[in-house]
Amino acid sequence: MKIIRAATLLTLLLLVAAPPAGAQDAYPSRPIALVAPFPPGGVADLTARPVAAALEKVLKNPVGVVNKTGAAGAVGMQYVATSKPDGYTLLLALSSISIIPEADKLFGRQPAFTVDQFEPLALISADPTILVVPADKPWKTAKDFIEDARKRPGQISFSSSGVYGTLHMAMELLSHAAGIKLRHVPYAGAGPALTAILGGHVDALASGPAVVLPHIKSGKLRPLAGWGDTRVAALPDVPTFKELGYPDAEFYIWAGVFAPRGTPESALARLRGALREAVEDPAFKGAMDKLQTPIAFKQGAEFQRFFETDARRLAEGVRKVGKIEIKK
Amino acid sequence: MLETLSNLGLGFAVALSPAVLLYAFAGCVVGTLVGVLPGVGPLAGISLLLPATFGLDATRAIVMLAGIYYGAMYGGSTTSILMRIPGEAASVMTCIDGYAMARKGRAGAALAIAAVGSYVAGTVSIVALMFLAPPLAEFALRFGPPEYFALLLFGLLVLAYMSGGSMLKALAMAALGLLFGMIGIDQMSGYFRFAYGVVELGDGVGIVPVAVGLFGLAEILATAGQPTPPAVIKPRLRELLPSRREWRASAAPIGRGTVLGFLIGVIPGSAHIISSFVSYAVERRLSRRPEEFGKGAVAGVAGPESANNAATSGAFVPMLALGVPSGPIPAVMLAAMMVHGVSPGPLLIKQQPELFWGFIASMYVGNAVLLILNLPLVGLFVNLLRIPYPILYPAILVFCILGVYAVNGSVVDVWIMLLMGALGYVLRKLDFETAPIVLGVVLAPMIEMALRQSLAMSDGRYAIFATRPISATLLAVAAVLLLLSLKPLVTHTLDWRARLALAEKGEGHP
Repeated sequence: MKIIRAATLLTLLLLVAAPPAGAQDAYPSRPIALVAPFPPGGVADLTARPVAAALEKVLKNPVGVVNKTGAAGAVGMQYVATSKPDGYTLLLALSSISIIPEADKLFGRQPAFTVDQFEPLALISADPTILVVPADKPWKTAKDFIEDARKRPGQISFSSSGVYGTLHMAMELLSHAAGIKLRHVPYAGAGPALTAILGGHVDALASGPAVVLPHIKSGKLRPLAGWGDTRVAALPDVPTFKELGYPDAEFYIWAGVFAPRGTPESALARLRGALREAVEDPAFKGAMDKLQTPIAFKQGAEFQRFFETDARRLAEGVRKVGKIEIKK
Repeated sequence: MLETLSNLGLGFAVALSPAVLLYAFAGCVVGTLVGVLPGVGPLAGISLLLPATFGLDATRAIVMLAGIYYGAMYGGSTTSILMRIPGEAASVMTCIDGYAMARKGRAGAALAIAAVGSYVAGTVSIVALMFLAPPLAEFALRFGPPEYFALLLFGLLVLAYMSGGSMLKALAMAALGLLFGMIGIDQMSGYFRFAYGVVELGDGVGIVPVAVGLFGLAEILATAGQPTPPAVIKPRLRELLPSRREWRASAAPIGRGTVLGFLIGVIPGSAHIISSFVSYAVERRLSRRPEEFGKGAVAGVAGPESANNAATSGAFVPMLALGVPSGPIPAVMLAAMMVHGVSPGPLLIKQQPELFWGFIASMYVGNAVLLILNLPLVGLFVNLLRIPYPILYPAILVFCILGVYAVNGSVVDVWIMLLMGALGYVLRKLDFETAPIVLGVVLAPMIEMALRQSLAMSDGRYAIFATRPISATLLAVAAVLLLLSLKPLVTHTLDWRARLALAEKGEGHP
């Protein structure tokens, strides 16, 4: 009995006294978690997996994807924002990182996190949304659509992935730029929003190109215009809103890697270099190609500028939408 | 017809190739385990294991994921019957009569009937999927928010048949469930409701922690509170198989459950959860001995279990025929296809015949595998009941907590489960039934969303429900059902519920 107690005590002492092994080692020395704030199978998750795999190769250190989901991404983003800034917890965020704190502000509630809590590392992809309508609707061009919407304000409906969600914001930016008013029917996610337009329950949808391409090819949906700076490669005949004279409607569903603010500069530099190498990895390129998501790598000042412009546009968008009041 | 059969031949050639067969088998085994683990349902199981399939080729990945899906639906019944713990939301109804059967020493029979019912439902609905997918999918897409709302109202009417006791108590419990369902972000405006600053409550209280708490934990607490522990059931081998009478009693419910489950499953959204509730209600209404329900009626196991498995195949209809992410699980499977560079859409059947027909054939194979896997396991599972309660129940408690935590890695979910367990215990002591709470939690967010989406579509005009043919029909039928159930109030005759109460008194229950 005594021996056991002595042994236990000794072990405990050793555990307490031993310096954390490898504390002086170069970063990284233990597995890195890349947090995807959305469930497996979503855009964030599908982008995070090849990023993690490529990073692992470059850093020669395990990088795992952790899905921390809930509250439209707020749970996972809050988790990373408040985790220890040691370079072992990273975030793969989508545009919603700029929207959620704005929406929190709008409702006057304690924000789950703020954008300042993150250090932007790299932009991985930026996919412009495109405007699609059911093929049996009369609008052949974006011009038809916008003119009709002007004539009948609030009559043309669109589905979205959720209120203040990315697909909602894309439409709101367009509405504001073109001076039109559309009728918003929010759904719980991008999947149900697509199902709704295929069922003919709404008149329009802003969507990432990859998911609607098969339905455009089969003739069920008609693309009218894109939100990007340039045309979508797979749809060379579809103009951009910028070409049509609405430059303020620029919008992308983008994915980027962030670290919590306060992460040591040495770790940040290592990660930035590793990410730059990772996006050149053929396996990574192949994976993104299969997802039909264009890689749009940006770092440093360039990413900072993109991120800030986008955040400002979205913040303005959220404020324009305003608090949604319940009609009495 | 001939073309379909030759295509199916191609499918079987794919499905029976050793590698694909292996992944189908692996998927079924993993799915069964996922289903048996309390709290981890098919969606969580598929999501957790999706990354593991990224290295496989598209057909193998899809076949394995589908195996996990229907394997979990099979496995979900096991813990429901043996321990009154719903492995996933769809097996809540199985808990009631399945567990009652187990207490009477008929656990083996209940498990066998659940397995056979699931097999029949699974196989029949794949045949339906094969021949009817394109027209059915087009029809299913016509279910927009107004139609969905009408369907869910139907679901609420089902409540009347869910409990044997007082209607008032059942309605009180349903109201409580509906209130729990109000917690979370308001999908239409972005307001946090009743979240008190807990970000995790933004998505509301999950069905799984609520169901596991109200059923499983409450049962454990109630047993622990008894002055003498209940006798350990020692099943004998010859009692494992259902009797001839039990087979006969389950045949019709299996058939009805299959049709009902398949049709509800086809509809986009999460309505498939209500298929087992609706099936239970239908069986109870049609039964000549409704007083047996809740006390171990075979039909109360056979119907809902068949329904939830048929709904599984039904959910694949819009996904396969049109490439539409018609529900959370099809959405994950479509993502798996995209990872492999297969773009899911209406052209999938033409562009990827091996994948499509291989998948269909593998579902036949998978269902057979599950039956072969599950029937011998019945003996093993039933013997779990021999474990003395002081050892069994703490172990179950640990698995419940682990399972619920594993799904989201959220401690908040564990707390919800524990609180629901305490609530369930109190309600049991007060003789309330807890199934209506679960139905309320399931229905509240869906009904609210559908109603408000419909009104957003129509700019606030309620006429939208009457002008669309499907919703108008559904609502009219619901109204007739409601009036029929009010008839006894007017004519002063006894309805089935009153007769039931009399019958129960006659049986000498206090």
